[in-house]
Amino acid sequence: MSHVTDVKFLFSRLFSLKNGLNTRWGIRKFSQDFDKQAQALPKGSVSPLPPLSEPLTNLPSVIYTSAKSEDYFTEVTTLSNGLRVASEKKFGQFCTAGVVIDSGPRFEVAYPNGICHFLEKLSFGATHKFATRDVMLRELERHGGICDCQSSRDTTVYATSADSRGLEAVTQVLAEVTLRPQLSTEEIEAARQAVAFELDTLSMRPEQETILMDMIHAAAYKGNTLGLPKICPPENVNKINRGIILNYLKNHYTPDRMVVAAVGVEHGPFVEFVQKYFVDMKPTWHSEETSSFKPNVDKSIAQYTGGLEQEECEIPLYPGSDLPELSHVVIGLESCSHGDPDFVATCVLNMMMGGGGSFSAGGPGKGMYTRLYTNVLNRYHWMFNATAYNHAYGDTGLFCVHSASPPNRLYDTTIVIARELANMAGKVGEIELKRAKTQLQSMLLMNLEARPVVFEDVGRQVLATGKRKPPSFFINEIEKITADDIVRVARRMLNGRPSVAARGKLAHLPSFEEIQANMSLSSSEASPQGRRLNLFRV
Amino acid sequence: MLKVATTLRLVSKQGNQVRCLATAVGYKQALVNVPPTRLTVLNNGIRVASEDSGAPTATVGLWIDAGSRYETSKNNGVAHFLEHMAFKGTSKRSQTDLELLVENMGAHLNAYTSREQTVFYAKCLANDVPVAVEILADIIQNSSLAEPEIERERGVILREMQDVESNLQEVVFDHLHATAFQGTPLGQTILGPTKNIKKISKADLQAYIRSHYQPGRIVLSGAGGVEHERLVELANKHFSGLKNTDSVVELAPCRYTGSEIRVRDDSMPLAHIAIAVEGAGWTDADNIPLMVANTLIGAWDRSQGGGGNNASYLARAAASEGLCHSFQSFNTCYKDTGLWGVYFVAEPLKLEDMLYNIQNEWMKLSTSVTEGEVERAKNLLKTNMLLQLDGTTPVCEDIGRQILCYNRRIPIHELDARIEAVTAQNVRDVCYKYIFDRCPVIAAVGPTEGLPDYTRIRGGMYWLRA
Repeated sequence: MSHVTDVKFLFSRLFSLKNGLNTRWGIRKFSQDFDKQAQALPKGSVSPLPPLSEPLTNLPSVIYTSAKSEDYFTEVTTLSNGLRVASEKKFGQFCTAGVVIDSGPRFEVAYPNGICHFLEKLSFGATHKFATRDVMLRELERHGGICDCQSSRDTTVYATSADSRGLEAVTQVLAEVTLRPQLSTEEIEAARQAVAFELDTLSMRPEQETILMDMIHAAAYKGNTLGLPKICPPENVNKINRGIILNYLKNHYTPDRMVVAAVGVEHGPFVEFVQKYFVDMKPTWHSEETSSFKPNVDKSIAQYTGGLEQEECEIPLYPGSDLPELSHVVIGLESCSHGDPDFVATCVLNMMMGGGGSFSAGGPGKGMYTRLYTNVLNRYHWMFNATAYNHAYGDTGLFCVHSASPPNRLYDTTIVIARELANMAGKVGEIELKRAKTQLQSMLLMNLEARPVVFEDVGRQVLATGKRKPPSFFINEIEKITADDIVRVARRMLNGRPSVAARGKLAHLPSFEEIQANMSLSSSEASPQGRRLNLFRV
Repeated sequence: MLKVATTLRLVSKQGNQVRCLATAVGYKQALVNVPPTRLTVLNNGIRVASEDSGAPTATVGLWIDAGSRYETSKNNGVAHFLEHMAFKGTSKRSQTDLELLVENMGAHLNAYTSREQTVFYAKCLANDVPVAVEILADIIQNSSLAEPEIERERGVILREMQDVESNLQEVVFDHLHATAFQGTPLGQTILGPTKNIKKISKADLQAYIRSHYQPGRIVLSGAGGVEHERLVELANKHFSGLKNTDSVVELAPCRYTGSEIRVRDDSMPLAHIAIAVEGAGWTDADNIPLMVANTLIGAWDRSQGGGGNNASYLARAAASEGLCHSFQSFNTCYKDTGLWGVYFVAEPLKLEDMLYNIQNEWMKLSTSVTEGEVERAKNLLKTNMLLQLDGTTPVCEDIGRQILCYNRRIPIHELDARIEAVTAQNVRDVCYKYIFDRCPVIAAVGPTEGLPDYTRIRGGMYWLRA
C-alpha cells in the first residue's frame, strides 16, 4: 500500500521528469522540494486515552506527602551470628537495599588476582532458590527492581533499588545472590568472556583512569594489599575456576564481614527479613564441620612503599577528533585513613587542589578557582588535564594528582605537578580555604540527594565503624578546619616518599629521583619564590 | 487572548490539586510518597513550578521554549551561541564576579540547548536559592554580550564542535535528524554550521533574545528545599520586568521523510548505525505505548555479559549470536513529531544479521506481541521512570520539561495509571500505525558496505503473512 503514492504526487513527478529535460530549471528534484509528504502518518492517536497534556478523568484521589526535613537517624542491629543490619528512612516510594562486604582485590594475596573482577560479573546470577538469572530478575521486576554489583579495592557492594512494598522479596534476592549462588560452569564461562571483553575494551579506549588508578596503587603499595590489581590480569582470565571462587567466598563472605543496609524502609520488618534469609538459611558453603572452620583472611595492614610504576605504550586516540596523543602521569602521596583525625582536613585539601580537564564542560561551579586550574591549567596551555583525588581506606589513604599532556611536554608536566604538590605545605589563603570548605559541604549534601549514595554511605560507615555519623557531623567538622590544619596534613604527606605512575610515550619522563627532589619539603622552604618552572630551559 | 486562556486553565488546575489534598485513599497514599508539584502563573505569563522536599540542597532553573528548531538556515546556531554567552558577564557583574560568586557558594551553574529547549539551571544549598534565582534572572535579562567575548566564544564553540564530531553517537544522530527532517528546521544541528558560528553577531543574539526569551515561553522550575510561595515571590521580584512582545514565533510543522545517509569509512573498525521511524509528539497519547514498545526492544552492550536471558529478545539474539557490540532503542520526542528506533554499533560483517533481527522484532511488535511480554515491559518502564527521579536536579528537570511540553506536570499516579492501561492490543495498534510498512530513516557511519540497500531495508518493514 505504501508503495503506491498519491496520484497527484505521481503526476507531479512525471511533470518534473518532463521538465527535467528542459535546461532552464534544475535537473533534479529533491524530496525537500515537495511540500507534501508522500505518506503522512494518520492524524489522531490510536490509544484510547486523552493526550498527555490533559489529565485523566476518574483517577482515585490521592494524598501527597509534605515537605519535611530529612534528618533521619540510622538504626543498627547486630544479629546472633554477628551480621549487622542498618537502615534509615527516606522520602519516596522506592527503597535501596543491599549488602556491603569487606571483600575486594586487597584480600586476594593468597589467590590468583582478579577473583573480585569475576565476582562482579557473576553477581545476581542463578542461585539455589532462583534456578536461572531470568527467574530472579523477574522476581525483582515484579517489584520494579533493578540490581547492581560494584567492588572497590576493599569493599564489594551488592545493591538493589525497588518498590518499598517488595522489601521481603528484595531481601531474599540479596541473601540468595551473596550466600547461595550456583556459579554454574556456563555462568563462569560467560563471566570469563565478559572479563576478557572488558580487558579488550580497556586497551582500545583512550580513557586511562581505570588503568592509571591500578598503576598508582601498585606503585604506592608494591605487592601488598591495596597494591594488588583490581582489573583481572590477562594471564588469570583462564586460570580462575569455580573451586577458587567458592573457596574465596567461603573465607570472605562471612557474617562478621558483612553489613545488610537499606534506605527508605522500616527497621523492624527489615531486621526480621534479614534474620529469615541471611541467618536462618545457611550459605551453600555451610556444612556440619563448619563449626570448626576458621576463615582465613589476609589481615595485614597496607604497607606504603612508594616508587615508580611505568608502562611505555601507545595510547589510543579519541576517534575522529584532532586531540593530540597524550601521555599520562599520576603522582601520589600517602594520606590518611578515613578514621584518622586528619581525614576531613585531607578532603578539604583535595577540594582546594580540585582541577579537571582543560576543556571540560560545565559552567561556574566545576571548581574553576581551585589551585590546579589557577596555578596549573590556566598557566600551561599544553596541559590537558590535572585532577586531584583522595582515596581513603580503613588503614591508609592515597592522595594523588593525575595529569595528561602531549608526550614531548611530559617532563614539564611532571615537574609542574610535583612542585604544585610541594606547594601544598606553603601558604593557604583564607578565601580559597573558605571556598574549598563550602564546596566540600555542598558536594557532600548534593551527593546525598541520591538514595543509592545514602545507602552506600550507611553501609560503608557501619561496616567500618559499626555506626553512621550523620551528614551534619561532617558539615561541622569541615567548618572547623583551619589553614594550619591544611599545612599540617600537607607536611605530613610530603614527608613520605612519593609514588609515581606513568603510561604512554615516556621518553621525556623525569627520573624518580628528580620528581622526588622537586617535592621535598626542604626545597620548597629554601626557595619559596623559585618555584616557577623555567620554561626556557636549554 | 490565547495566553489568558491557558493561564486560566493553569490556575484552575492548581485548585484541583488542593482538592486532591483534602481526600485520602489508603492504597494510593503509599503510591505518591512524594510532595505535590505546585504551579503558579505570574501576570506576565512566566510559569513557576516547584516540588518542595525540604532537602538541604535545591535545584532551580529556567526552561525556555527555544532551541535550534526555531532557527532558520541563516541563524542556525544562535540558541546555542547564547547558551555560551550566558556565563560571560552581565551589565551588573563581570564574568569573574559571577564565577567567584557561584564558586564561593559551592553552587553549580549549568546550561544546555536542545532542538526545542534552552535550559539554564543552578544547583545550590537550600539557603542560597534566592541568590541562585537572582543570578538566573540576571544572566537571561542583562547578558552583556560584549564583542570581545563573542569573538572568543566562537573559538570555544568550534572546539566543542570537534568534541561532538569525536562522539560518533552524536554524529549519527545529527545525520539521522538531517535526513529524517530534511529541508525543515529540525534537520539542523544544534551547534549550527561553521560558517554561521563564524559570523553570528551581537545583533543576531539580541534579536533572538527579544523574540524568544519572552515570559510566556519561560518556566521557572524548582525542586528540593524550595518553598513554592518563596519561589513565586522571588520570580515576581526578578522577572516582572520581562514583557511579552508582539513578535509571535511561529512553529512550522516539520515534515518527516523516509531516507538515508551513509558515511562510509572503511578505516574504522565498527559501524555506528541508527534506524528509526517517525514517532509521536510529546503530548500524543500514543507516546506511552511507544515507550512500552521501546522498553520491549531494550538495550544491551557486550560488557553485560551473556544476556542470554535478558528481558529483550533482541538482547538475547545479540548476545547469543554476537550480532553487535551494543545497541539501544530510543524514542526522541518533539512538539508534533518524533523519532523512534534503534542505535547500534556492530562489526562490518554482522550488519545485515543485526538489521534483520531488529526488523524482525519490530514486525513482531506490530503483529504478535503478547500480554506477558507487555506486562514485563510495563513494569520495567515504570521502574525506569520512577528511579530516574532521584535527587533534586532530575526532579527539577522533569518539572521544567513537562511544564513546557504538557503545560502541566503529570502526577505520578496518573503516569502509573496510563502505563497500567497499556495492553498488548494497544502496543500492536500503535506499532502497526508507526512502524509497519512505514519508510524508515537510516544514518550509518563507518564500514557500512555490509548494510543492505535502502529498498531492501524498506522491504523488511512489512510481513505479507501478517
